[in-house]
Amino acid sequence: MGFNKFAFAKLALTSGLVCCVGASAFTFASDADVRTVPTGPLVATNGQVVRIEFEKSAQIAVGESGLSRISMIGADARTQLIVQATFDSGLTRDVTRSISFVVEPAGIVQVDATGLVTPLANGTAVVTAKLNEATTTSVSVEVTKFDGNQPVCFPNQIIPIFTKYGCNGGGCHGKIAGQNGFKLSLLGFEPREDYEHLVKESRGRRLFPAAPDQSLLLAKAINESPHGGGQRLEKDSFEYRLMRRWIAQGMPYGTGQDPVVTKIEVTPRERQMGQNGEQQICVTAVYSDGSIEDVTRAAQFDSNDLDMAEITKTGLVRTRELAGDVAIMARYLGHVDVFRGSVPLGAQSDNWPEPRSAIDTAVFAKLKKLGIPPSAICDDATFIRRVTIDIAGRLPLLDETNEFLANGDPNKRNIYIDRLLNSPDYADYFATKWNAILRNRRQNQGFQSGTFAFHDWIRDSLINNKPYDQFVREILTASGSVADNPPVAWYREVTETTSRVEDAAQLFLGQRIQCARCHHHPFEKWSQADYYQMTAFFSLVAKKEGGTPEDHVYYSRIGTASASHPKTGAALKPSGLDGAQLDIPSTDDPRQYLVDWMVKPENPFFARSLVNRYWKHFFGRGIVDPEDDLRVTNPPSNPELMDALQASFVESHYDLKQLVRSICQSATYQLSSDASEANLRDRKSYSRFFPKRMSAETLLDAIDQVTGATTSFDSMPAGTRAVSLPDTSFNSYFLTVFGRPESSTACECERGQESNLAQSLHLLNSNEMQAKLSVGQGIAARFATETSRSNEEKVTELYLRAFSRTPTPTELERSTAYLSSKSNSKESYEDLIWALVNSKEFLFNH
Amino acid sequence: MLSILGGSHKLCDGISRRSFLTIGGLSFGVGGFSLADLYRAEAAAGKSNSHKAVINIFLGGGPPHQDMWEIKTEAPAEVRGEFRPIPTNVPGIQICEVFPRIAKIMDRAVVLRAVVGCKDRHESFQCMSGWQTEDLRALGGRPAIGSAISKLYGPVDPSVPPYVGLAQKTQHSPWSDSGNAGFLGAAYSPFKPDGPGMQNMKLNGISMDRLQDRKQLLTSIDGLRRDIDVSGAMVGMDAFGQRALDVLTSSKLLDALDLSKEDPKLVERYGDGKPYKYQYDGAPTCNDQLLIARRLVEAGARVVSLSYGRWDSHGANFDLVRDHGGKLDQCVSALIEDLEQRGMLNDVSVVVWGEFGRTPKINNGAGRDHWPQVSCAFMAGGGIRAGQAIGATNRLGEYAAERPVHMQEIVATLYHNLGVDTATTTIADPTGRPQYLVDHQPIRELV
Repeated sequence: MGFNKFAFAKLALTSGLVCCVGASAFTFASDADVRTVPTGPLVATNGQVVRIEFEKSAQIAVGESGLSRISMIGADARTQLIVQATFDSGLTRDVTRSISFVVEPAGIVQVDATGLVTPLANGTAVVTAKLNEATTTSVSVEVTKFDGNQPVCFPNQIIPIFTKYGCNGGGCHGKIAGQNGFKLSLLGFEPREDYEHLVKESRGRRLFPAAPDQSLLLAKAINESPHGGGQRLEKDSFEYRLMRRWIAQGMPYGTGQDPVVTKIEVTPRERQMGQNGEQQICVTAVYSDGSIEDVTRAAQFDSNDLDMAEITKTGLVRTRELAGDVAIMARYLGHVDVFRGSVPLGAQSDNWPEPRSAIDTAVFAKLKKLGIPPSAICDDATFIRRVTIDIAGRLPLLDETNEFLANGDPNKRNIYIDRLLNSPDYADYFATKWNAILRNRRQNQGFQSGTFAFHDWIRDSLINNKPYDQFVREILTASGSVADNPPVAWYREVTETTSRVEDAAQLFLGQRIQCARCHHHPFEKWSQADYYQMTAFFSLVAKKEGGTPEDHVYYSRIGTASASHPKTGAALKPSGLDGAQLDIPSTDDPRQYLVDWMVKPENPFFARSLVNRYWKHFFGRGIVDPEDDLRVTNPPSNPELMDALQASFVESHYDLKQLVRSICQSATYQLSSDASEANLRDRKSYSRFFPKRMSAETLLDAIDQVTGATTSFDSMPAGTRAVSLPDTSFNSYFLTVFGRPESSTACECERGQESNLAQSLHLLNSNEMQAKLSVGQGIAARFATETSRSNEEKVTELYLRAFSRTPTPTELERSTAYLSSKSNSKESYEDLIWALVNSKEFLFNH
Repeated sequence: MLSILGGSHKLCDGISRRSFLTIGGLSFGVGGFSLADLYRAEAAAGKSNSHKAVINIFLGGGPPHQDMWEIKTEAPAEVRGEFRPIPTNVPGIQICEVFPRIAKIMDRAVVLRAVVGCKDRHESFQCMSGWQTEDLRALGGRPAIGSAISKLYGPVDPSVPPYVGLAQKTQHSPWSDSGNAGFLGAAYSPFKPDGPGMQNMKLNGISMDRLQDRKQLLTSIDGLRRDIDVSGAMVGMDAFGQRALDVLTSSKLLDALDLSKEDPKLVERYGDGKPYKYQYDGAPTCNDQLLIARRLVEAGARVVSLSYGRWDSHGANFDLVRDHGGKLDQCVSALIEDLEQRGMLNDVSVVVWGEFGRTPKINNGAGRDHWPQVSCAFMAGGGIRAGQAIGATNRLGEYAAERPVHMQEIVATLYHNLGVDTATTTIADPTGRPQYLVDHQPIRELV
């Protein structure tokens, strides 16, 4: 905070009006005349102000005289001004609310303390923003068409009010049945229907042109007539007056030819901010006739990280104390845009690891920008444990660890990564991952062999490093029976056409389009037409019943692929998202065309969603997170990193092993999880490795590895590890309680990583754990009877087994002291192993 | 100190306390909650008597709506049946003669005589969640009230699961479904006092001394920095680990399940419910479960569900209602009085209902068949405006003639009583879409 209490008190004494917004305190004029504003706090933080200027937006054009110009049309126009100050340190900051505005001549427009301009009369005026006498900037504002009763346009002016104030939200009138007899379309995507409901239903009592204030619409909105949703608007607010005028005009819908919004633009789009800082943003709508309008006050805002920054209803971003970045999404009439703010920590460091690849270049560039120095490269013990868990889903074997630690080859990490990638354990582990989201789980008796065959197929694809595009093609275009062609199992488990298109979009494109099945996607551009054009690709899939579930045959019928729009009934041709509509010969399988569109190198979703999914696997947090929700409004935390990964994945012809290899070889992946003061609070810039709890299956196998026990699974051969189970239907309290997914959706989020009491009780005190610790041929039993080695040697081996490292002298001393304090040697080894597997170092991959 | 096993008190079906705690294949955990929930819960600890709760008593099979709270006196004999109405302590409200004790406390209860929105399906799902099994099935289905509340509020006491399902396994398993976490995932399933989660609450094969030794050893070597984990999972595990040890030394949950700790006179007031199994494949009429439910709520449970009897009266309907109704009259009236005496009635909502109603016309076997067109429910407590009969069926009891109440309105009322604003509260489903808990609003006459 650059401003202390003392200074604040002094300010209060020397000037009449004091207003405090966030971290800055300042005086401002109630009626926009001149005030001198002290620059003390600003200077103290950022240096001396060199100049101030209006933030350029679509609305502010530079005129012939060099003076910027704003055009405001009609009495309803509003314009948000943003004044940026540039300091001698090179920093820029939003000072809109710390300065005064002067309007000359007066009476044309009014500027309030937040920089909002509203028209008062036709004419031209110059608005001057004044930090002090020397530091000013001006803009010319022209007001036209102020007089006269401009007809209100229902879809463009009234609908946004319902959206901004929550009237047409899913919890109120926007839900399918409406609320207390009054229904609006969800988020106003069907203005025609809304108009009918308002104007014609309920015998017209909702709107009363003869006495607009008596209209139920207004009386309810200000809670004058009791309203279940409470007061939504202030009487005589801008929105109230607008609706009132619309009613008084006789509720025009519009001409039917009114321009529609084609896009919205946020200004500024990107900005570096300070901790506890503020930045006003403004939203401009661009209409189909080329006209533009400032809709800042009518747009909705959301922050993607409330710990980083919040956003007010009027578009003021307020950062908190964390360093990092944040995305603010603005929505208006179905269009979205994003402001990205970053808050540098500003720590200096000379110890930047050498970038080894494009991954490191992108990550370190961002860290430098944020001033967050990375941790050091981790030691060999940490590396071997980390990478073995992440690639092979198991702990390193004792021999592997010993050999690796003793090896002096400088290239040994890369060699070890390749060894893991070429082992069947890699395929087992990643097959578990894919199996769950491909929903491969036997639902019925008789489905078992098909389920197992699909699992085998996934596993074989991974072992053979089948290119990812081919992997996806073979699934999405699968025809035949599961016996002949195992990926058909996907069609067997995902039975509805809607689920198929939704799963395919989420799995392979990172797009969650399910919203658009019933209404326009609230946070994306996808409409129902986009959704049903995608379903058209699956419209010819048919099933021929066979004698047994293994014999059902799936195939693509001969015919014209199409889907009907649920509202208009129009027959829609197949088209990828944002793709061209396709005319597919009736003898072709439309699904091939879907995959053709997907796997084109320029497809904006396909490679991107996969690299992000894999990144999340290794780093615990996606570049876009959640990893399968790549929305415009959920932008990547490091776009350059995303682009680099995408490009190299496409260039490698969708080589999955190469992707894993390049991630694991990077310095970024090999950073220590240990934190410096500077990067302790980093959560998403990868300045160090973020520890993550082992998955349910890996944890169970790891406990078996360290205790020397085995877990038996129903009808599976002895020695089957949890990570190699062919589906998630095997009964295991351990796996369930530690969050094994049910394979019922295409979402990775089904896998639970939360802690709970049941897990703790199970690890600390369960028959299952005690049985593993005390098993006859287990490690505790063997160590207790083995006399050829000392306790020190045995403890060292336990540490190597559990943590892939040798114990510190203190740990060794404490462990051996415990062992010798007990008379029952086997029990004391059980206790020690119990303690090791219950430690955080064991439970987490770090 | 480890008084995990009760005395000789026998539970329903002659299953001893000990086996009640340990038998059963269905199982599930103590409810997942985050570290923040844990701290919130711990901060709120000590207020466990004043938290809002629901006891959901499911009458599996579908009770005959015309033989419960609205006797169709004007219907012809082949519809009317054998029962006569009796007056209650609320002038103008009459209910079936098999409920004399409830009639005396009608001013503290509400009967809903025209419940609609039922499906002709023998399953508790509709009463546990307000939804049908196919709703959002592709995502895992809709969560039960208790699961949603566990997600929204977490536990009252970290060692007592917020959602407990007491229903015992029945041959027709949808009647013993205590409610389902649906898309929220297994961590929010009801805790059932008969699975591995329960077994883990008592020491397994080692002594308390040895557990303490182990814990000390763990503390001495578990040195990984906790603050490097920004997700908070490490700190969370430590906190839950400490809680787990507390549970092993003394458990409020196990005490709550142990009726030997209850005043025998009160146990007697609730009645026994024998014979427990009136018919072959339904839930027992186990009156103890209502008392256990109250004890669980006192210990910190937010939602307790149970399944009471087998009401699927295709034959001998009137004998069944006489048997089940008489027992239900005793335990439900006892529960309401008990809650009132403890000052809990305004906080604890009790609902008694089944999956659908039964046919107006009595069949050849003196039975009534399935009739999802209309059903009935009984509610008390939770701060509702009591002493009302809401809605009515037509003369023959065929359909709702006045003020139909949708099943979801009842569920919405329960959420309302739990302090949830159903108009604004959403839970994200696995696709990230915010889902409202129910589509209907609370019953306006009650809230």
